[in-house]
Formats: sequence, structure tokens, C-alpha cells
Amino acid sequence: MSREPFPFPWEYSFPPFFTRQTNLTTHHAQLVKWSSLILSYCRHHRLFKLSLSPSSTSSSTTTGPPSSVDNPQPSPGADELFYNRRLDKRLSIADIKETIDFMRKDGRAEYVGGAGGDVVWIYWRTPEEWATMIEEWVDGTGQKGTVLTLYELTEGDGTRGAEFHGLDPELLQKALGVLVKRGKAQIFGQEDSQGVKFF
Amino acid sequence: MFLKQIDLTTALRPSYLPDEVLLFVQDNVGLYEGKYKLPDQQNGQVYLTSHRICYVDKADPRKQSVALDLKDVERYEFYAGFLKSSAKVTLIPKPSKRSSLQSRSPGLGSTPSRNGTSSPLQRSDTPARTPPVEQPPPSTATWVCTICTFSNPVPSNFDPATANVHTPLPPCLACGIKPTLTHVLKAAISNATSRAPNSLTPNVQTPLPLRPRPVSELSGAVSEPSTPSSTPPPQTADPDASFQCPRCTFLNHPSLMVCEICGAQLISHDVPAELRQTQARTESPGPFLNPAVSSLASSPDSPESVKISFRGGGEKIFYERLKGAMTQRKWLLQGAPPIPKSIRSSDGNSSLGGSDSGATVAQTERVKTAGIAGLEQRGLDRRKNNEIVIGTAFEDLEALMASAKEIVALAESFARQGKSGKTSAQDSALLAESAAQLGLITTKDIVGGADESLYLSELARNLAEFLTDDARGVLKKAGGIMSLVDLWAMFNRARGGVELVSPQDFEKAVRLWEKLKLPVRLRTFKSGVMVVQGRDRTDETTVKALLGWLQDLHSFPPDREVPWDWQRFGRGVTAQDAAERFGWSIGVAEEELEMAEERGVLCREEGIEGLKFWENFIDTGEGKSYKTKEQESAEQMIKALREAGFV
Repeated sequence: MSREPFPFPWEYSFPPFFTRQTNLTTHHAQLVKWSSLILSYCRHHRLFKLSLSPSSTSSSTTTGPPSSVDNPQPSPGADELFYNRRLDKRLSIADIKETIDFMRKDGRAEYVGGAGGDVVWIYWRTPEEWATMIEEWVDGTGQKGTVLTLYELTEGDGTRGAEFHGLDPELLQKALGVLVKRGKAQIFGQEDSQGVKFF
Repeated sequence: MFLKQIDLTTALRPSYLPDEVLLFVQDNVGLYEGKYKLPDQQNGQVYLTSHRICYVDKADPRKQSVALDLKDVERYEFYAGFLKSSAKVTLIPKPSKRSSLQSRSPGLGSTPSRNGTSSPLQRSDTPARTPPVEQPPPSTATWVCTICTFSNPVPSNFDPATANVHTPLPPCLACGIKPTLTHVLKAAISNATSRAPNSLTPNVQTPLPLRPRPVSELSGAVSEPSTPSSTPPPQTADPDASFQCPRCTFLNHPSLMVCEICGAQLISHDVPAELRQTQARTESPGPFLNPAVSSLASSPDSPESVKISFRGGGEKIFYERLKGAMTQRKWLLQGAPPIPKSIRSSDGNSSLGGSDSGATVAQTERVKTAGIAGLEQRGLDRRKNNEIVIGTAFEDLEALMASAKEIVALAESFARQGKSGKTSAQDSALLAESAAQLGLITTKDIVGGADESLYLSELARNLAEFLTDDARGVLKKAGGIMSLVDLWAMFNRARGGVELVSPQDFEKAVRLWEKLKLPVRLRTFKSGVMVVQGRDRTDETTVKALLGWLQDLHSFPPDREVPWDWQRFGRGVTAQDAAERFGWSIGVAEEELEMAEERGVLCREEGIEGLKFWENFIDTGEGKSYKTKEQESAEQMIKALREAGFV
């Protein structure tokens, strides 16, 4: 499934966009613009995790694998996102972290494996939203009471076309965890062959 | 009118006349006319200068500020203050031309009643005044020898306006001691000033002038009988005609204004009643018996004493300096020609007597020498001249007063010589003006008052004038804005090395600008840098100018290929660019750009080319509408509640 390159917004070609602004309101606007850019970029490329380190393309793919998403782009990820090749401008790692912190406050990002990590979840859909989506799908397809494997949910033919098709397994776990807490599902099974039952 | 409206400078100080020198400033004073307070002039500053006394009102300076010329002041009195009444200085004006005419015409009858005798002196005086032009006033002037107290006549060819140290003076007729120039000068001047209004009086019917009676002397005068006021004017040839002092009965010389023995004012008798009625303008000092009448009849012609009430102290220094100013009579020196060059060029052998021969000698010498030798000779001559002038001028203070004009001219020329080469053109221009500035600067001892607040406010006004002076254009040259340190250095340099202002005082004074509503203001940037700029130059205008400039850059293609859409974003500017564009210093440009950034108009870009400022395309308004999730949910809840009708 081939995708067009991400249409970057106009501010992406505005040189001061890559410099941390000192004025508080301008800085806030800058953070808002960057976070919406990150979210829409990740949504476009269906990236669930983002590696922040400004390393080479190869290392970024290994540390922060965009999981099973089909990505025809050479390296859709932090390197392309935070580095404007045309302007030769890069958002510094400190500024990226600040933006991520800003997004975390908003519930739109989370460090993988606790704070200070190099890889972050980018929640262009939060686990709650994913959970609601799965629940609606289960409702809509009349599969309440049935048991589904996690693989079936994300990779199976039944979910093809649903938005959570191809969801990162870890993120799926989180989403299902929300459902379990709500008392709408139960997870059982072993490490590699987990199943879920919806109520 | 005794009190005149005056012009104020931009800094709300009186604008000075040429050659006028500021002597003293005191705040918190009020004005009285006669016995009554002037309602609109009760809180202000009084400026004593060599020529005037200026009152600048605090509340409404442009309308209520007045001045009186010292040359119109007949007399001044000091009242030390008692209990609640503040110390006052009373200034009694000379009779104006009109009122002198009226007060004198009736008075002529009263004179003979006083002494009963007529004198040839008086007679000789009388025709002299009837045609006022015939006999010049200096002819009757006398000077009292300081050694033997003999009254000598001032030589008829002695002119106080042109006299200088080299004018030959005859020795005392009694003891043969030569008088000092200043002594004779004073005598001549005091005579000239006391006669000046009289001789100008066009009233031919007044054979004998009589001084109007000031209010303060009324009681003494009224007590005297005025019955023979109807007696005809004396045309007798009695040589002893003189004024009898109303206090001590001493018969004074008719030219004297005050009694020689007791110092009482010599005054005319009261005005006849019939004359008062017939003449519409008889509100001369004579009828001011009733204070109520006097206050009502304060027509512009009637001279009325003016009192300055010192509520904040400083009256003693004011009085002392006023005394000095009245003795010096600087206003008479106005237009006095400098010492003739010929005297100076002589080698001092004939400095007093043979000025003409000295001149010819010098001229012949000059003709002989030519080329470099001639130039050297001329330089030598000039240096010798200066030596003589300075030497005689500083012999004593009195002489310095007499030759003040030349000394100032000399100081100016020295200042002009000293500037050559080492300082920048702008600074040297300021230096050259420093001599002219000398009279206007505020020094600590000019200003009265116990605390230094008055000094500071005067300094603040001084600075504001310095900055806004169009001729100098200090602020304009610096692009309308300059740092405080630069101003401090320039201001002290302009003072020519005397009475320098300490940085502390300077800063305090500058901070007063806002309070004094002066046309300049102090601005502190967030980095702590302090600058001065015009009051009309606000941040808004600066931002507008910056934005206009940046928007212009949208339509002009940049010098080289740029990777961004310059038609949309324009380009970034550095502080250097802004400094060049607006004529600011780089420091000021940085501060202004950061100020604009602080206001959200600009944003920054840090790159290899340094810090650049751009129009703010980052904050385009979305930031404000952006809400966090909690805010959103809270708003939704409120919305729901409102729909449900709970709120």
C-alpha cells in the first residue's frame, strides 16, 4: 500500500520554526504547531512510536520500529520529520523533548518504558480511543462473547478496513487493558498466543 | 506691567536672554502682589538670573509663569518670616513712565512746602528736565571717594557702557587718590538708572520730578501736612533746594532717592485730591491708602510691589544673590563693545594713557614683519593680549565683573582651539558651545533647598533641554534613541569639565522625566540597558516601523537564492541590519528587536549566520484557540449543564 509523501504544512518551510522561541506566547504557538505536525505526520505514516535520537536512518528503524506498518517511504521517522533538508534546519533534541513533554501533558505522547527514554508513543489516537473503536467494531460485527486472538484483531482478514488494523501489538495491549478496566473484555492466554473475550 | 508673561523652553524652564546667567533656583514659592496672594501663582519655582526673576508655576507652567526684569526693580526688601508667615522678598518696582508722569505733576506743589527754600541747584536741575534731551544724565553723577568720602563728580565724558579698565579716571579732588573703575562705574550706573525714567518723561509741565510713594511708606507720608500743596511750582534761584527726609529731616541732595543719613526712601507728598478725581489714571501709588482700593485698582500701569514667599526656605541665599545681581547690573553691559584692540597690542607701557600711540607702534611693527615671522609675531601679540586681559580681569572680582564679556569671549576661543583633532566632530561642536552653556547649567550651589530633589529636577530639565535642542540635535543624530551612558558622557563633556554630574545624580535626574512631564523619557530594556528617547517614540511606533520594513522585504527578492518562500515570509534580519536601517547603535537595535519579539511581533531564528529576526508566522492565532483536553472536557461539561438548564 503505497502512500504519497506527507504534505508538510507551510510553517515547516519557515526557518524560525526550528528555533526555540523565547517569547512565551510565541513559544506556546510553536509547541502547538509542532505537536500537531508530529501527530498528523505520524497519522499519515501510521507511526505509533517515534525514536527521538538524531541518529542515522538505520538506527532509528531498529530502535524505534514502526512495527508492521507498510512504509514505502525511505525513512519516515524522526529524521525526516525534525530535519528540513531544504532549509538545512533541524529541531534540536532538547526542543524535541520539550515538544514531547508538551504533548505528554496533553495525553498525546508517552515515553516507551518510562520517562527519559529515547522512544515515545505518539498517540494520534489515545489507547482509550482505540479501545472505544475496537468495542464499536465488536459491537458492529456482533462478536460479543466470542474469543478473538490479538493477531486476529490487528492482522486478521476480519479487521481489514477497520482503522485499528495493523495496530502496534503493544498499543493493542494498552487499548485492551482499558477495555478490561471498563469490564468489557477479558484477556487470557500465554505470552505469544493471547486471546481476548468481549462482553 | 511689572510682571510679564514669559516663554518657556521645552523642559519648562524660562528661556534665557543672550548673556543671561542663572544665579539661583528655589522651588515651593508663591507670589504676592502688594499684600495679596496671586491665586494662580502660589506654588512654583523661582529662577533668579542676572537679568530677571522668573516664576514658573508648577500646575500650569505655560499659562501662569511670569517674570520681572531686575532693571525695573527700584528696591528690594527682606522679611525673615514670623510664626506661620514664610520668609519673603519684596520687590518694589520703579515707577513706570505713565505713573511717574501722573504722580509727579501733582507733587511739584508739595516740594517747597517741605523745605520752604528753593535752590539754584534745583533750578539748574529743573530746566534740564523740562527739555530732557539737552543735558545727559551722567553730568550730575557723583562718586564718593572711599578714602576721604569726598563726593566727586563723575567726568562728563565717562560712559558706563564703554568704560573699561583702561579708561582714564581723574583722581579724587580732595585727597588725590585714584578711584577704582568699578567704583566710578557703579556710581555712574546708579545715577543713570535713577535718572533714566525721569529724563524720558515727556511731560514738559513737570519742572521737578518727584518719586511716587510706595505703599510701605504711606504711613509716614500721610502724617505730614499737605496743606500747601496748592502753592505754585518754585521758579526761584535758591541754591539749597533739596529733599527733606521724612524720617530724620536731613536735607538731601535732590538727585538722591534714599536719605543719606537714615536710608529712608525720599518720597513726594500725597497727591492733591482734586487731581486724583479729574484724572482717570490716578491709580498711582499715591492714593493707595486703602488696601481694598489698591487690590481693585491693580491696573497694568500701576506699579505694585511683588512679594516672593519662600515656603520651602532658600530665601537668604536668594536675597544674597539678588543683592549681587542688583549691584552688578549685568543688563547694562549688554551690547558693551569689547576693549579696543589697539590697547591690547601695545606692550603694556601705555596700557592706560597712550592707547593711540601704542596702536600705531604695534601697527608699524606688524607691517615690518612678513611670512612666518609675521605669523609668529601675530601669535605672540595675541598671546600677550590674552595675558593682559586675563591678568587685569582676575585682579579682583570687581574688575572681573567689568570685563566679563571679554573673558567669556576668550573662553569661547580657547574652547574652540582646544577641540582641534582629538575629539569627534560632533563632540567638538558641543565643546565649542560649552561657553555659551555656562550660564544655563544647573549646579548644586545654584539651587536652594535642603534636599537635593530640586537640584535633581533642575538637572532633569537641563538634560531634557540638552536633548531636545534642535540646534544641537543630540537625540536626532542618534536615531531618536541613545543609551544613557552615551548621554552621560556627552553631557559631561558639554559642560566643559566643570560641575560634572555624578552617575548617581544623573540616573536619579533622568528618572524624574516622567514625573516632570518632559518631552523625553527613560526606557529600560529587559536586559537592564537604559536608553533615552523622545516621549513620542513609543514601543508601538518602533514596532510599526520594524514591521513596515519587514513587510517591504516581501516584495524585494533577496540577494541570493533562498530555500524558503521569500514572497511569503520575507527574510530574517539581524541587529546589524536594523541598526543600519534605522541609524541606531547595534546595542539599541538588539534591544528594540527583542522588544518587538517580546510583544510577539517578531520571532527568532538561530542559525550559522547568527540571530535573525522574522515576522512572526508561528503565532498566527491558533495558540489562543488551542485547548488542553481537560479544558475541553470542562467546557463540554459546562455546555451540557447549560443545555440541561442547570446553569
